[in-house]
Amino acid sequence: MSDSTNTTRTQPLIFQPKPERAAPPSTVGVVGWMRQNLFSSVSNTLMTILGAYIVYVFLASVLNWALFNAVWEAENRRECLDLVGRSGACWPGVIEWFDNLIYGLYPKDQIWRINLGFLALILWVAPLWFPKVQSKVAIGISAVMLYPFLASYFFLGGDKGVFWTALVSAGLTGLIWVWLTVFTELRYGTSFIRTMGAILGNSGKSEEEQLKFGRLSLIGVFVIAVVLVSQWELSFVSTRQWGGLFLTLVISGIGITFSLPSGIMLALGRRSTMPLIRMICTGFIELFRSVPLITILFMFNTMLPLFLPVGVEVNQLVRAIVAVCLFAAAYMAEVIRGGLQAIPKGQYEAAAAMGLGYWQATTLIIMPQALKIMIPTIVGNFIGLFKDTTLVSIIGLFDLLNMARSVGEDTRWLGLFIEPFFFITMIYFFFCFLMSQYSINLERKLEAGARR
Amino acid sequence: MSTDTIEKTAKRSAQSGQPVIELVGMSKWYGNFQVLKDIDLTVYEGERIVVCGPSGSGKSTMIRCINQLEVHQEGDVIIHGKAYGKDEKQNDLIRRDIGMVFQSFNLFPHLSVLENCTMAQIWVKETPKAEAEAVAMHFLERVRIPEQAHKFPLQLSGGQQQRVAIARALCMNPKIMLFDEPTSALDPEMINEVLEAMIELAESGMTMIVVTHEMNFARKVADRVIFMDQGEIVEQAPPHAFFDNPQYDRTQLFLSQILHH
Repeated sequence: MSDSTNTTRTQPLIFQPKPERAAPPSTVGVVGWMRQNLFSSVSNTLMTILGAYIVYVFLASVLNWALFNAVWEAENRRECLDLVGRSGACWPGVIEWFDNLIYGLYPKDQIWRINLGFLALILWVAPLWFPKVQSKVAIGISAVMLYPFLASYFFLGGDKGVFWTALVSAGLTGLIWVWLTVFTELRYGTSFIRTMGAILGNSGKSEEEQLKFGRLSLIGVFVIAVVLVSQWELSFVSTRQWGGLFLTLVISGIGITFSLPSGIMLALGRRSTMPLIRMICTGFIELFRSVPLITILFMFNTMLPLFLPVGVEVNQLVRAIVAVCLFAAAYMAEVIRGGLQAIPKGQYEAAAAMGLGYWQATTLIIMPQALKIMIPTIVGNFIGLFKDTTLVSIIGLFDLLNMARSVGEDTRWLGLFIEPFFFITMIYFFFCFLMSQYSINLERKLEAGARR
Repeated sequence: MSTDTIEKTAKRSAQSGQPVIELVGMSKWYGNFQVLKDIDLTVYEGERIVVCGPSGSGKSTMIRCINQLEVHQEGDVIIHGKAYGKDEKQNDLIRRDIGMVFQSFNLFPHLSVLENCTMAQIWVKETPKAEAEAVAMHFLERVRIPEQAHKFPLQLSGGQQQRVAIARALCMNPKIMLFDEPTSALDPEMINEVLEAMIELAESGMTMIVVTHEMNFARKVADRVIFMDQGEIVEQAPPHAFFDNPQYDRTQLFLSQILHH
């Protein structure tokens, strides 16, 4: 005994960590998961079976109604009722109204303009998902700043003055520039302006001068766009004819795009050290947050014209959009402020100690972190806003919800409400689910970047 | 020994002897509570100063006034002969010579280690990206973690994070480095790697003010140790005099508590 103690004293014991063993097989894999989560005890097994039965009954009745017992061809609602009564859906009404549900009362022969407008948007933002594209920020900003001009001309049409032609051309230039720069970046690894500068400016010239040539080529693109745009003749379609999913997407799209930057500015303003700015921002946020959206919509719809000078008339759709934007901005401001609140003081101090000024610290250090924390809430707000646009039906705009209601007011389809509502439910679900999946995706991506 | 003679010896021991930081009658209040009471302190170029004292004694506040993370209300803070004033642009220029390392590291968690080091170079000094990265790698090598450059701060251990923080501050080419309890948030096993980086920095001749309770570090590196209590500088002396022969009862009590627990 004493011998062994002596040897350990002169020669230290060597610490040998135990090797890791595999987890017990009953806790991993599909079977393990099911055993742990669904059938871990008798009562748990019973609950699983009961739950599965309830899901089955519900799904079966919905599918029976919507698909298996449904009527697909009929002249009017009477025919549907005669065929299956109320046990199956009557889809012909929805099919007949399909174009109206999607595009409102937009002239049938002009609907391609709406499709083209949304196609332009998809083309504009698609490069943001190309991994090798470098100027993503510029593309994003150009989409927010320039796309609206292009789209509003597609959707609205009508006469163009010089000013309007210039704006629409700027929009078209933006779209062309996006794809030119995507092409040069994928092909040569430099942006369009730099590539053109290198081609046009002689190689002996300085970088500054080459850039000058590059910008000149962008002006060339603009001139081509002006020529193209002035050739276009699109007939005027009043916003009164806008409706359906199209109108819903226009209102919510503008609301969402506007709410984020303005919410950021309001949140920063509310935390400002300058009392006047702080008071204005706080007042704005509290005012718009404490009034229901319907009230704001009514106010803007009926009272705003009273305050405007005689002869100035603001389009009803514009009034609704402004109301939605201001409401959304106030809510977004509080979400962003929540995110800012969560950033430790040390981050501000470190940024200041490194010599970064207020705006640099905010845009480079604080905001990226605050926005990242708040992604679920921000997207939640977007989803809420998307659904809240249904309220514009109350002030007489024919958005998706109001259009669905009109189906049942059609004399041939009188009383047909459930089917169109079921249909638009699917549409709303599709868009909201898309947004929430995208947010989860984004969170994972950012999380993967920051940890492990 | 009077303060005058101490500063004279300090001046002799420092490398070139120009005053770089002068605190003159500096006072600060939080509401009605006075945190700093008429602080007078002169730091010479190349001098290494360790500040210690009980919590709440105002030591952190004092060094944070040196780069104006906290704004003092009375007296002057003069860096390289220029006092902080109302002109924010001027203040930013003065502050640019001062690097700071915090107790809680305060790395930017959404940026990689390399980006943490290049961010301020690119945006404040407008250094081209490639050059900024070269500078960053140079200092990451000096604190011995170049291989972590592309990781994110939260993937590193505390000691590694604090060394990145040191490298990040050095990237701005500061003339003065402030350390606010740099090892207090670290696991015991990691304290030494950070202290070693600081010792190396001290040997390179950097002017340093370090708030710390690492008394061995103070003994080994400091030119002067300052003891603060209740918003005042109670006593300052070269380390051997400070530890072996403290003048004030308050200092003796403090030392007995932290050295023999």
